[in-house]
Amino acid sequence: MQSIDFPMHRHAPGEEVDYVIIGVGSAGGVLLQRLARAGFKVLGMEAGPFWDTERDWVSDEAGSHQLYWEDKRVTGGKNPLALGANNCGKGVGGGSVHWAAFTPRFHPSDFEVYTRDGVGVDWPMSYWDLKPYYELLELEMPVAGPAYYPWGDPHGYAFGPHPMGGVGNTLVRGCTNLGIGVSIGGPVAILSGSRGNRPHCIYRGFCIQGCKVGAKASTLVTHVPDALENGAEIRDRCMVSRIHHDTRSNRVTGISYIDRDGKECFQKAKAVIVSGYAIETPRLLLNSACAGYENGLANSSGTVGKYLMAQIGNVILGRFDEPVRMYKAPPAHALTEEFYETDPKRDFARGFAIQTVGPLPIAFAKQMMVARGNWGWGMRRIMMDYNHWSSFGLLGEILPWADNRVTLSHETDQFGLKVADVSFNLHENDEKLREFGRNKTEEVMRAAGAKEVVQEARFAHLVGAARMGSDPTSSVVDCYGRTHDIANLFVCDGSILPTQGSANPGLTIQALAARTADYLISQGTVIFNSDRRDMTPPPVRPELSPPGTHGVGVPRVANLASR
Amino acid sequence: MSSTSSGRDSVDRRPYDAKSGAPLPQREQPGYYPGFSTLGQKRFWDEATRQKVLDRVHNVPPIRFFLPAEVALLETVVAHLLPQDDRMPSRRIPIVPTIDKRLHEGRTPGYRFAKMPPDGDAYRIGLSAIEHMAKKSYGRAFGELTWREQDELLKSIHDAKPKPGAESVWEKMPIHRFWALLMQDCVEVYYAHPWAWDEIGFGGPAYPRGYMRLEHGEPEPWEVDERRYEWEASRDSVSDPSENEIASHDGHPPAGQGGTH
Repeated sequence: MQSIDFPMHRHAPGEEVDYVIIGVGSAGGVLLQRLARAGFKVLGMEAGPFWDTERDWVSDEAGSHQLYWEDKRVTGGKNPLALGANNCGKGVGGGSVHWAAFTPRFHPSDFEVYTRDGVGVDWPMSYWDLKPYYELLELEMPVAGPAYYPWGDPHGYAFGPHPMGGVGNTLVRGCTNLGIGVSIGGPVAILSGSRGNRPHCIYRGFCIQGCKVGAKASTLVTHVPDALENGAEIRDRCMVSRIHHDTRSNRVTGISYIDRDGKECFQKAKAVIVSGYAIETPRLLLNSACAGYENGLANSSGTVGKYLMAQIGNVILGRFDEPVRMYKAPPAHALTEEFYETDPKRDFARGFAIQTVGPLPIAFAKQMMVARGNWGWGMRRIMMDYNHWSSFGLLGEILPWADNRVTLSHETDQFGLKVADVSFNLHENDEKLREFGRNKTEEVMRAAGAKEVVQEARFAHLVGAARMGSDPTSSVVDCYGRTHDIANLFVCDGSILPTQGSANPGLTIQALAARTADYLISQGTVIFNSDRRDMTPPPVRPELSPPGTHGVGVPRVANLASR
Repeated sequence: MSSTSSGRDSVDRRPYDAKSGAPLPQREQPGYYPGFSTLGQKRFWDEATRQKVLDRVHNVPPIRFFLPAEVALLETVVAHLLPQDDRMPSRRIPIVPTIDKRLHEGRTPGYRFAKMPPDGDAYRIGLSAIEHMAKKSYGRAFGELTWREQDELLKSIHDAKPKPGAESVWEKMPIHRFWALLMQDCVEVYYAHPWAWDEIGFGGPAYPRGYMRLEHGEPEPWEVDERRYEWEASRDSVSDPSENEIASHDGHPPAGQGGTH
């Protein structure tokens, strides 16, 4: 349920805007809201539609394909990634419309894996730089979860945890029998009680088909309404084809896009922010190659498209004698991060989480096709047992590798633009981590009482491919998302993550967007008029939170954690 | 849904009762939830969902992508991949027309594996490979084979150990990806249908009402308890292997493609 009952501001044809944001998803929605609230003239470009959720969305698995980015792409390498419904959104709200909404923070260790473990790369910022924004976004979404969350930087959640579903029951039982700590009822960005004009969760289990209820957070319901109320414009069903660059000044001047009627248009902007996520962002930069940037805009380092990451996402399924009915309750409602950190007793760096998932029938059938090789009568038989199965998602950290990358294919899409060619290979550490994590997760499933345990290897999420760093020769953007090459071109979305931990990335992406917004606001008009790079950290601006979110509730242990 | 080939009474293709050995009667609704009807709850669904699901039940799309000979062959193949001989003919779920619709509209899942041709081409190439395998291995067209021969030929594709006749095709098109394409499309259509939801006891659309009994697999007041029966697959089928064979399944394709987290 999403209702916006006021007219949207429309910039005049030919009118220059301060910021054009390409992609109104997890990051784009937050940026748009804050920049509008701070008084900038902002325009969000979105390739997909502006949803009317009651009219456009359905409580139906096969009928929800419109939520996913299903345009042409090629996927290859030794371990090809599934894209589309697996990790790519289209439409206002982007991936936050169809995420399962697990919202764990990254751990402090995630920001310095090179220093600690000699793998990957350090972030150009620390956990403590991002922490204030985690706290803001956890209230803005808001996140429901336990009052005490023990892992990483221990903290608590202001909004109460959700009741357990059948899958959570099995995870708690399995973990408890093995002496593994487990968090129940969150952290997940789903309302456990109604708030403002958003109702509470009704436990229908269709989270990744879009929350028609409005209980699950997406920027469509959390940030876009406030952005529009503050004068932002969103042009939906407009595909940005190119960012324009002026060679003489080395500044970007605006964008070209194909509007909903198929007409090519130009939009002038004082600065451009690319928020297209880990495939469309590098694709657009590469497709915007021009004089001075023949290998792709802002790509003097050659790293645009490189260091793409997905997470190990094996699904471990267990059959129980008693019914589970895993289609009820949000798929995301319990997890353990007991194995998150590097353990010197293991023969690999970094770690993993174990989380509840709740495949609906079609997803479950596809899993059984892989996990048990089912077809024919075997498929009919196993599906008749659907209600006896529970499923856990292994979420494991894959390190950044230069050969995991997005390049341009020679094939073109419906607009004549070159499509992304995605190549992905697991490396030794990734494979060891996957094997260990899979075995541990299967052990938990057996300890829960499952008689048969099978698994499907797959991947979850996408980040990287335009990474941030302090060194302009090995990264694309600085710690505020500004490209090293061009002073008024920014990237802000999952693609800037240098490493990814084994936490779901949505919360971190939105927290980074809020921090980038604070930086841009602090810089005022400097970004529009000069190439000066002021790296002074901006003050945190809680007054920019959507109304009625900041200071609500009491995260009881948020400030107890020692640094 | 056309019945298939081999000129044999479909009673042979039905599953049978594990104890008596008698073929199971064809049912309106197979599965362990007799009396459960998701469509019976449709007045509690939102309008957009109700329209979408009822359209699926009542409006079977016309064939526009496949040629008539391809349709006949694909119908036979799909009748093995997702057999419905335990369903009364009037309660079988049409699968091929919806696959045809997807291909006609050029809809993809949002990616194509680098070594695969576009989905429509993959179907055409794969179907013709199946015919070549039938000719080479049995000396007859696929449609002329016995049910069991057809099942065995398809199982050889499932196992990625194809019977001879189409080597040049499988050199170019990864056989396990072709199998996955077929199987995924079949389950995507079958398990999208409310009759299949009734069969497996899935609650179906659940907005705006939602669920209230979340734990221990308890049914909602409008759901029903499970009533199991023991059955064996048709004696002419090789698609329901023993637990031991399942345990030795090595899990190709190497990675799944669904989105669950």
